[in-house]
Amino acid sequence: MSSEIFNPNPTIFASSKSKKPAHAYAKPHSLWLDDGEHTEDEEYDQSDEPESIDQDEIFELIRSISDPEHRSMTLEQLAVVSAPQITFDPKHPDRLTVEFTPTVPHCGMSTFIGLSIRVRLLRSLPQRFKVDIRVKPGSHQSEHALNKQLNDKERVAAALENPALLEVLEQCLSTAHVDHEH
Amino acid sequence: MSERIDRLVRTWIASEQDQEVQDAASEISQGRAALLDLVKALGEYLTSEEDDLRTKGVEFLSRVLARCSPEKLNRQAVRVLVSFYCGKLEDTETIVPALKGLVTLTKLPAFTSPDAIEVVQALFAHVKMKVLVQSQRFTVFSIIDNLVARHREVLKGLGDDFIRGYISLAEGEKDPRNLLLAFAIDRVLLIEFDVQKHIEDMFNIIFCYFPITFRPPPNDPYGITTEDLKAALRACLHATPAFGPMAIPLFLDKLTAGSPTTKKDTLETLDVCLPVYGPAIARENARKLWNCLKLEIFQPTDNATQDKALKTTQILIQTIYSASEAERSDNAEIEGLAKDACEECMQILREPEKSQAQHAIKVLCAFMSTTPSVARFTLARAVPHLVKLFLDPDELPNRAPTLRLLADLIESARKSTEDDSEVLQEDGNVPLSPYKDEVLGVLTVGLKTPASALPAIDGLKSMVLTAGLLTNEELGFVVHNVNEILQKDEDESEITDAVLDLLSTVASFAPGHVSSNTLPLLFTSLPDCAPAREEEAKRIRYWRTLAYLKKLCTQPDLFETLVVRLSTKLDLLCVPSPSDDNTSNADLEPSAAYAHSILKTIADVLSAKIDLGNKDVMKYIDRLVPRLYNLFIYSALLAEERPMVATDARLLGVAAQIITLITQTLTAGRQETFVKAVFAAYLDGRVPQLADGIQKIPAEKAFAPLQVGSPTAQKNLVVLFASAIIALHKEVSLPVPDEAVFLNNLLNWTVDHAENALQRDAVVHIISAILNRHAEKLENFSSEDVTQFWASQVADTAVPTDSRRNAIATLTWIGKALLVRSHPSAIVVVDRLFELFDDDSVSWDAARAIGRIPGPDKVLTKRNHAVIKILYAQKYCNAVLPRIIEGAKMSVSTRQSAFLVALAALIKSVPKSTYVQQMSSLMPLLLRGLDLPDNEIRASVIDTLQATAASSSKDKDNSLLAEHASSLVSTMLKNSLVSNMPSVRVRVSALRFLATLPDVVRYDVLHPQKATVIRELGKALDDPKKAVRKEAVEARTNWFKFTG
Repeated sequence: MSSEIFNPNPTIFASSKSKKPAHAYAKPHSLWLDDGEHTEDEEYDQSDEPESIDQDEIFELIRSISDPEHRSMTLEQLAVVSAPQITFDPKHPDRLTVEFTPTVPHCGMSTFIGLSIRVRLLRSLPQRFKVDIRVKPGSHQSEHALNKQLNDKERVAAALENPALLEVLEQCLSTAHVDHEH
Repeated sequence: MSERIDRLVRTWIASEQDQEVQDAASEISQGRAALLDLVKALGEYLTSEEDDLRTKGVEFLSRVLARCSPEKLNRQAVRVLVSFYCGKLEDTETIVPALKGLVTLTKLPAFTSPDAIEVVQALFAHVKMKVLVQSQRFTVFSIIDNLVARHREVLKGLGDDFIRGYISLAEGEKDPRNLLLAFAIDRVLLIEFDVQKHIEDMFNIIFCYFPITFRPPPNDPYGITTEDLKAALRACLHATPAFGPMAIPLFLDKLTAGSPTTKKDTLETLDVCLPVYGPAIARENARKLWNCLKLEIFQPTDNATQDKALKTTQILIQTIYSASEAERSDNAEIEGLAKDACEECMQILREPEKSQAQHAIKVLCAFMSTTPSVARFTLARAVPHLVKLFLDPDELPNRAPTLRLLADLIESARKSTEDDSEVLQEDGNVPLSPYKDEVLGVLTVGLKTPASALPAIDGLKSMVLTAGLLTNEELGFVVHNVNEILQKDEDESEITDAVLDLLSTVASFAPGHVSSNTLPLLFTSLPDCAPAREEEAKRIRYWRTLAYLKKLCTQPDLFETLVVRLSTKLDLLCVPSPSDDNTSNADLEPSAAYAHSILKTIADVLSAKIDLGNKDVMKYIDRLVPRLYNLFIYSALLAEERPMVATDARLLGVAAQIITLITQTLTAGRQETFVKAVFAAYLDGRVPQLADGIQKIPAEKAFAPLQVGSPTAQKNLVVLFASAIIALHKEVSLPVPDEAVFLNNLLNWTVDHAENALQRDAVVHIISAILNRHAEKLENFSSEDVTQFWASQVADTAVPTDSRRNAIATLTWIGKALLVRSHPSAIVVVDRLFELFDDDSVSWDAARAIGRIPGPDKVLTKRNHAVIKILYAQKYCNAVLPRIIEGAKMSVSTRQSAFLVALAALIKSVPKSTYVQQMSSLMPLLLRGLDLPDNEIRASVIDTLQATAASSSKDKDNSLLAEHASSLVSTMLKNSLVSNMPSVRVRVSALRFLATLPDVVRYDVLHPQKATVIRELGKALDDPKKAVRKEAVEARTNWFKFTG
């Protein structure tokens, strides 16, 4: 990793917080306030209705990845990623695009950020998904090359062979977690 | 006499056994020989030409000396021995035993100051530390330590000679044990001796050890830790201000070039050194230090280092400015580092939204707790700047980060005044006072926008909590402004939580503002009638309002208002006045649900108040409890004519909770009166003593819930009978002629008259509670009546299975009552349950009951004043676990699974410590339990395994998990895939377990499983349920990270 600092003083954005849903008080369609006495069994298993993977769930996966240049901050805090930048292909529900926005157009860390998103999703999404990762149009000076690189399977695989790079990657991914609501 | 000494000497020289040393010492101690006799006896050896014999001679003398009691060594003897040993220091063959002798001598009371000088000079002249081994050098340090401790003044008199001599001895020492001693000596010299001329040498022999990088070897028998050495060294580093000029450059060097550990160590060391080195040195190096510190603050390697750098900055500022603080007038300009650093930060704060601003504000916050004038100076710069920034129209998008910075600063200012609370802040004397109007202004503006509301509330909370800052009217102004947020009809968020937190803070010391301002608003927004079934939004609104009230009303005055307002509302809801009784077949459920929410709110606040130890809870036995009984008894009686809201079982449940909570807080005396009234109503139908309220209970209707043929609504009221009884002190006796007969009647009632689980449970709880309190006078009941019950209701296979199951549940509660007080009859109940393992129709019920008996419940609790002996669960497990383990191994398969069921239920209900010792025999059984066709059992087994795994760590011997690793992995994988396991709960638990495994089992053990786990978990990522996918992601990530 180069020691050059591309953006020493980035702008910080507030993380979006999950709002308390109406069912914080009661089970769906119930008139009765939850009395907090139900067991864990009842908490799950309420219905067999499948819940499909949506934009928010994918955002959950990548929002807390650390920025490689500012390790104490997440990609979400620097507005590199956001939920609306994750889109599903209306024709193919298994295809999606994850767009990200480098904090400065000359950011040399962009490939790395894209790679960390790629690896996180490779590890946490079912195989049936095909993910396209790209930088926000107009947000980076070498946009085209970047996009090409990030979606080239072989180049991604080659990058992951580099132990030094992999180590930093694991560090950035180590902050990625899924919030538990309970 | 001396012949004996002679003999001992000769024997020892030949054998070197400890026995001779012992004997010689006791000869001298008992006065049968003098020490000089020993010296004489040793004569030929002490002067022998043979090196070996000379060494042995002196060795024997030193050993015996160490064993002699001090009073046997008079002045003369010591004098002779000192000269003797000092002479022996010259001889390379005798120096080692001679040093040992000197250690003993230098501790003796008869050892005098002239001796000290002689010893020191001999040491300096003859001891070459480099040729001695560690233990011998330790002896030398011990001698010096003794001398410095006992003869300090005469050593001081030696002046430079002593210091020089000591330095040459101590130089180059490397052993941690010796260093601990050396550092202790160093510190005394630095503080008490005149070391001015040798300060550079002292610096060299001390600072060469900084930073300590020593790592104790594994199983170090001396147990010296890095921390011990660090602390001892640090005590030297700041022992004298004279080190300052040489030390600071060294510290700066370590800060720039050191590893993160060194940096932290250096920062901590600076914290203790700077105040000693003094303001002049600090001022001189201020710039250089700040430049280093700045780097750690603005480009932090980690948060811990940043915090430490901030702390050091604070101490640096304190050191520079506190000396001159006294003569500084309020208006004098601050010059130097505080000013420069402040200016630098202000520069950065021009862009409040950037990451550097967050670091800059930390520096300014740190300044708040330095000196009053620096704090005033900082506030005078930062507050107006931030206020101006907030009001600047161009900076509109940055209002939220600006307020966050301001809130942080206010909080630090508050904390700084809290620290020196002995100086009570007069109004106007609070650092923030000059700016409070403008700050209040921007904070209240910030409240109006959701993005900036959170920092605004935080800022307001800090202001509210700053003693002496806000006037009473200003508090009212704050409350008024935040109330507006509560009224907005938006989704709740952290903002409302923060508002409620702020209001409760205000309520804790100024309840008037909340009760006259906030509460009326909230009560008005509660509807008088329940919203109809389909009006979900309205329902959510009242839930929300009740949740707000619950958070706010723990304070006694506010709680009183809450009870008055809510109980009125409750009466209206449950017994609407005839005028608005529009239909007789109206939908009552929404009203019941609303009433339930209201009761639940009261119950929750009561419970919170009890946690807080509020004393006003008990008065509600008169103010609330009679009203509740009145409402529910009235409703039950009227229910014979028309449907009533307050007959709903869920309402009864919460009302019971309230009654129990209040009863808990009563004295035994008050409980006695209360329980009399309760019994008069329930057994004799005399209601007026118990119930009192708006609704007039019709005199013509009889209240007789326990009587044969009583209507269901009345029978259900046994719930409120139980609620009064389960929290009684053991001193309270029941107003019945014979408790055993009473209990037996209740027991029979559960069989003959109880119509539903609600009634049965309530009565069983009564039996259990009373039996627990009064077991000693209920022997008749617990032996004969229970045996009879067992024979007729459980053992008899002609009884319908459902009834037998109910009876087993009843027995479980009887067992519990006896077990928690460690009554021997508890085990009789268990014995009987084991007998049922052969009976297929109830064997699993019996097995679960065995597991549940020691489990926690809400009836037999400390708060309910149950009689509970410590370690009852442990005793139970000691008795029952071996039987289960044995049974699961020995018996045939149907019986076996009952034992596994019992095991799964048992481990779920007892603390881990009770079975952890037996984990190795339990493990195979638990694995078998995972094959039982019952998801609840599987889930609780996995949870147990999870608890076992989570509490262990890789360092410890984890052979048990490692031994079963491959079967654990494959079982858990099976249980985590939707294709094999329909229960979400089990899948979640299994995945959580898989996620923990890599943290607790070594890589080489799990390595063969890695590829399979990652592949199989890939399938779990596609689970239909979101909750399961989350766990799958977590687990799979952990396995990816898992490398050798």
